[in-house]
Amino acid sequence: MRSDSAWLPGSLLWRVALLSVVVVFLQISVVSEVPVFGVSVDLSPLLVAFTGLLCGSMIGAVAGFCVGLLIDLALMQMLGVTSLTFTIIGYWAGRLRELRDPQAALTPLFVGAAAAATAMVGYSVIEFLLGVDAPVSFELLREIVVGVLVDTVVALPMWALVRRCLVGGLPDDPRRRRRRAYTTGGLSPLSQSRGAR
Amino acid sequence: MYDKTVRRRRAVLALLVVLSLILLSAYFGEAPSGGLHSVQRGFLTVVAPIQDGANKALKPVRDLFGWFGSTLKAKEQNAELRKQLATVRQQLTTKQSNEGSYRELIKLYHLDTALSLSDYRPLSATVIYQSPNVWYSTIVIDHGSSAGVHVNDPVIADGALIGKVTRVVSDGALVSLITDSEVEVSAKISATGEPGMVQPEVGEPGRLLMQYLPSTSSVVPGDYVVTSGTISSKGESLFPKGIPIGQVTSTSEQNGFKSVEVSPLVDLHGLDVVQVLTYRSGSRPETLNGAAATLAPSHQLGPEEEAQGGQVAQTGGGG
Repeated sequence: MRSDSAWLPGSLLWRVALLSVVVVFLQISVVSEVPVFGVSVDLSPLLVAFTGLLCGSMIGAVAGFCVGLLIDLALMQMLGVTSLTFTIIGYWAGRLRELRDPQAALTPLFVGAAAAATAMVGYSVIEFLLGVDAPVSFELLREIVVGVLVDTVVALPMWALVRRCLVGGLPDDPRRRRRRAYTTGGLSPLSQSRGAR
Repeated sequence: MYDKTVRRRRAVLALLVVLSLILLSAYFGEAPSGGLHSVQRGFLTVVAPIQDGANKALKPVRDLFGWFGSTLKAKEQNAELRKQLATVRQQLTTKQSNEGSYRELIKLYHLDTALSLSDYRPLSATVIYQSPNVWYSTIVIDHGSSAGVHVNDPVIADGALIGKVTRVVSDGALVSLITDSEVEVSAKISATGEPGMVQPEVGEPGRLLMQYLPSTSSVVPGDYVVTSGTISSKGESLFPKGIPIGQVTSTSEQNGFKSVEVSPLVDLHGLDVVQVLTYRSGSRPETLNGAAATLAPSHQLGPEEEAQGGQVAQTGGGG
């Protein structure tokens, strides 16, 4: 298990902060005003989940909290609602990386879908808890399902963007270095020992 | 080392969750003039001009994406609008013949001082923030108190009511849409004149419900719902009479009252430019708003009281 504190380069934090501000402002001023099948694409949970997936649980959770707070402040929403949901999303995505380190090409798709679903269900649950006396209706379920599907469609391009922006700031990960070596023609420790004999 | 890392990770998570819950509880419990609300207003004051610039610069991008959606929708709307046009033409000829006699009556009974849309100054504003979340029915616009926007000013788009101003800073204002759970509008069925309350339908984001119509009401799907120009409790805003709100889609009856589902006339997801109905200080709308806010009872009327015509402040006839 790697220590998070051992690899927190300043450049990574700056990259995460800058990317978060740019994506949140783009989301608010452009993306949310273009409805797709009656719902708006929400890039912010995808950003938080992918930050966690690339940088780990601690940075994921902190990024989630900050992005959520920025959204709540900018949209004059109830402070804390988005922060709470996004903190959980960022932490969960980071833990997924730390425990499983999934490498399948479709992983961002599933992580994006799960993040979007968690964000939407999270808002709904908090709204219910805050006193909106509402039955779970077909219309609400439709909005959530369509919203998750639309977010899933944009998950892969968003993953490519987040990875491109953050990968330069990430320290070299020994596990990935090892995996790269095997897949690009390098010898595995087993092959090396055989060769030596 | 491992234990230390795990402990630190869990502590950070716990700290952030607790911080979020503290923010949530404090914000939920405090008055709109409280500290957290002030911080939020301050933040908006700082970022609103930047966001306004970004919004204008990125408008072509937004329009490009919007163009695809609009083209697909236009075809569908075209056939429907042609049908409506035929009906409206027919109604227009009938109404034009009635108009002359109506004007005569208005003059006869000295009702031509009624509050109408002409008493307001429509101020065009650009939407600079719009939440993508289905639960939040608010938008932020780029004009605030410096442009004469007041709290409770009605906000329209494409000639239909979309909400009211609920918070104002110098260069921006928060507009709660009619689908927001905190907004109630006293309305009437345009065809029959029956009054009721338009509220968001619980659990159905984007839809409205008009309640407390008499069970004998002859409202039918397709009827238009307009503002009644009255209020029924202190928290409500006084809107000018006759602003279209939506169209009746279905009706149902419960506990001796009729309820109708109302579909807003404007697509509230794709708002770009809106108009705030502002007024000059000392004008008739200000006087009436002040009177309504002072004289209206602070309690919410029950359905029976409302059905018996419990509206206490009226903007007058006409509209």
